[in-house]
Amino acid sequence: MNYLVLSIIILLIGILGIILNRSNLIIMLMCVELVLLASTILLLFESRVLYTLFGQIFAIVILTVAAAESAIGLAIMVNYYRLRGTIAVRALNLLRG
Amino acid sequence: MYLLVILIPLLSAVGSGLGGRYLGRKGAGLLSSVWVLVSSLLSFVLCYEILINGSTVYIELGRWIESYLLITSFGLQFDMVTAVMLIVVTTISGLVHVYSTSYMREDPHLPRFMSYLSLFTFFMLILITSNNYVQLFIGWEGVGLCSYLLINFWFTRIQANKAAIKAMLINRIGDIGLMLAIILIWKEFGAVDYCSLFPALSPSSACTWICILLTIGAVGKSAQLGLHTWLPDAMEGPTPVSALIHAATMVTAGVFLIIRSAPLFDYSPTATIIVGLVGSLTAFFAATVGLVQSDIKKVIAYSTCSQLGYMVMACGTYSCLSSLYHLLTHAFFKALLFLGAGSIIHALLDEQDLRKMGGIIRGLPLTYVLMLIGSLSLAGFPYLSGFYSKDLILELTYNNYCIISIYWLASITAFLTAFYSFRLIYLSFVSKPNLTRISAQHLQEADWNLLGPLLVLAIGSILVGYIAQNMVFAPGERPLPLVPTIVSLAPVIMSVTGILLVFILRPYIIYYTTHPSIYGFLFYAWEFNQIANYYIGSTVWKFGHIVSYRIIDRGILEILGPTGIAQFMVNRTKELSSLQSGLVFNYALMILVGTAIALKYLVVN
Repeated sequence: MNYLVLSIIILLIGILGIILNRSNLIIMLMCVELVLLASTILLLFESRVLYTLFGQIFAIVILTVAAAESAIGLAIMVNYYRLRGTIAVRALNLLRG
Repeated sequence: MYLLVILIPLLSAVGSGLGGRYLGRKGAGLLSSVWVLVSSLLSFVLCYEILINGSTVYIELGRWIESYLLITSFGLQFDMVTAVMLIVVTTISGLVHVYSTSYMREDPHLPRFMSYLSLFTFFMLILITSNNYVQLFIGWEGVGLCSYLLINFWFTRIQANKAAIKAMLINRIGDIGLMLAIILIWKEFGAVDYCSLFPALSPSSACTWICILLTIGAVGKSAQLGLHTWLPDAMEGPTPVSALIHAATMVTAGVFLIIRSAPLFDYSPTATIIVGLVGSLTAFFAATVGLVQSDIKKVIAYSTCSQLGYMVMACGTYSCLSSLYHLLTHAFFKALLFLGAGSIIHALLDEQDLRKMGGIIRGLPLTYVLMLIGSLSLAGFPYLSGFYSKDLILELTYNNYCIISIYWLASITAFLTAFYSFRLIYLSFVSKPNLTRISAQHLQEADWNLLGPLLVLAIGSILVGYIAQNMVFAPGERPLPLVPTIVSLAPVIMSVTGILLVFILRPYIIYYTTHPSIYGFLFYAWEFNQIANYYIGSTVWKFGHIVSYRIIDRGILEILGPTGIAQFMVNRTKELSSLQSGLVFNYALMILVGTAIALKYLVVN
C-alpha cells in the first residue's frame, strides 16, 4: 500500500512539475522521467501483488523507452539550444494558434 | 371569319413590327391600315349576324388550365356586348391607322408605331371576345402593355417616360383588384367562364366583395376618381394614340368589365350603388377640371374621364346596356374630337396650348365643322348621337337615384360638359387670333388621309346614336325611364344653356369670376397629384427607405443573417484558436484534464 501511495505521489510531483514549470526545459524532461519512474514502480508493485511477471517485463520495457526518450529529448534540446540560444519553456511558444 | 377578325390585327402587328424595315414607312402604313380596315369590315358583317340576326357564337379553341377543380379553355364568345365592342374597337382602330399614316408621316419609326397600334387592337379584341375572366385578363394586361409602349413612343422624352410609367403603375393597382376578383370568383363559384358562372350565381356576401374588387379594376383602367391621374398625363403620347387608346378603346375596358359582369352586379345592390357614386363623382370632378385646362388635349382627356364617369354611373342604374350604348356613341365623337384636335395641332406646328390659338376658323373650316359636330354630340345636342345615350342615362339616374346626389351631379356635369367643349371651340376657332406669325402663315388643312377618318367619324357621331339604339338594346329590353317632362327636357336645356353661355359671356368668365385659389385648385385637377405624391407617395417612399430598407433589410436581417453570423463565427474561432497558446505546460494541463474526464466517463462507467 505504501508503494502505491509513493508511486502516485511521485507521479503527481512529475505531472505538477511539467505543468507548473515555466522556466527550464531540462526540469520538464526530468519530470517526464519522474512520471515514467512512478509508473515503473506502480507496475513492479502490481507484479509483486498479483504474482505475475508481466509487470516486470513492462517495467524493463519502460526503462528502455525512458532511456531512449531522454536521449532523443536531450538531442532535441541541444539542437534547439543551438538555434535559439535558450531553452526556457516560455520561449517555446512561437507556434501560437 | 370570327377568328379572322382577331387574327388580322395580330398579323398586321407582326408584319409591320418585324417586317417594318423591308416594308418601309409607306408600306407599313398601307399594310396595317388596309388590314385593320379589313378586320373592321369583317366586324360589321359579324355585327349584322350577331346583333340583327341574333346569333350568338361560341368558339372553343383549346384547353388551357386543367386541374381537378378548375377547367379553363381558350374560348371566344361573340354575343351582343362583344359585337358592339367589336364595332367600336375595329372601326376606331382602322380609322386611327389611316389617320396615323398622315399624322406621323415625318416620324422615322412609323412601322413600329403601326405595329403597336395593331398589337393594341389585337389585345383589345382578345379582351372583348374572351369567354372567361382569365382570358379577359390577358387582353386586359395586353392593352396596358400597349398603352405603355404607345405613350412612351417618343422614348427620348423624359415626360413621356414618366407618363408611361405612371400609366402602367396606376393601372397595376386596378389589375390587382381584378386579379383578386378573379381569384375570389374561382374560390366562390369554382368557374371563371361566363357560361358556367352566371347561371350559378346566388346572392351572397361574396358577390359584394367580388363586385367591389371588379370595380377597383374598372376604376384603374377606366380612370375613375382616385386612380384617374394617369389619363391626363398619358396625353404625352402621340395624338392618334390618345384618340385610340385613351378615348375610345382601352379606357372603356373597365366599363366593359362591369358590363360583362352585370349579372354579378345584379346580386349586389351595395356594389351597384358604389359604382354609381364613383361614376357620378368622376363625371363631376373631370368636368370641373376640364373647365379651366389650357392644353387642348387635356381638355379632351378630362372630358373622356367625365364621359367614362357617365358610363360607369350608368352601370350603377342596373342598366348596363345603356352604358354600352353610351360607350358606342362616345367612342365615335371622342375619337372625332381627339383626331380633330390632332388636326389643329398639326396645322399649328405642334402647338397644343389653347391660349395660343384662336381664329383658326378661317384657315381650317373643315376641321372646324368636324370639331363642332363632335362637340355638339358630346354636349348632347338633340338628334346627334350623344343626345340619345346621355339623355337615357340621366333619366335612368333620375329614376333610380333622385334622392342621393348622383342625378344632380350628372345634370351639373351635362351643363359643364357643354360649357367646356364649346370653350374649346371658342378659344381655338372663334376668338381673336393669338397665333405666332409662322403658324398663321402655314395654316392650312391637312391631306385627305388625315381628314378622311374625321369625316367618317363625324358621320358616325351624327348617325350612330339613332341607328344603334335598336341594335344595342334587344327588342323590348330598352329601358323606359318614367320621368316628368321637365326632367327629360333638363339635359337639353342644360347643354344649350352651356353652349350659349360660352358665346354670350366668353369663356374668360371663369377666370374673372372665380377666386384664384379655386381656379388653381381646378387647374391642378383638385390637387390629386399633390395628394398622391405628398401624402401617399412620399410616405411610402420614406417608409420604404427608412423602415424596410435601412432598418429591416440592412439592419435586422443583415445582423441576423450573413454579416452578423459571419462576424460572430470569426470572433468565436479567434477565441478558440487562442487556446493553442504554444506553451507546452498548457498542453500538458489540457492532456491531463482531458485524460481525467475520459477516465471518468470511460473507465468508471
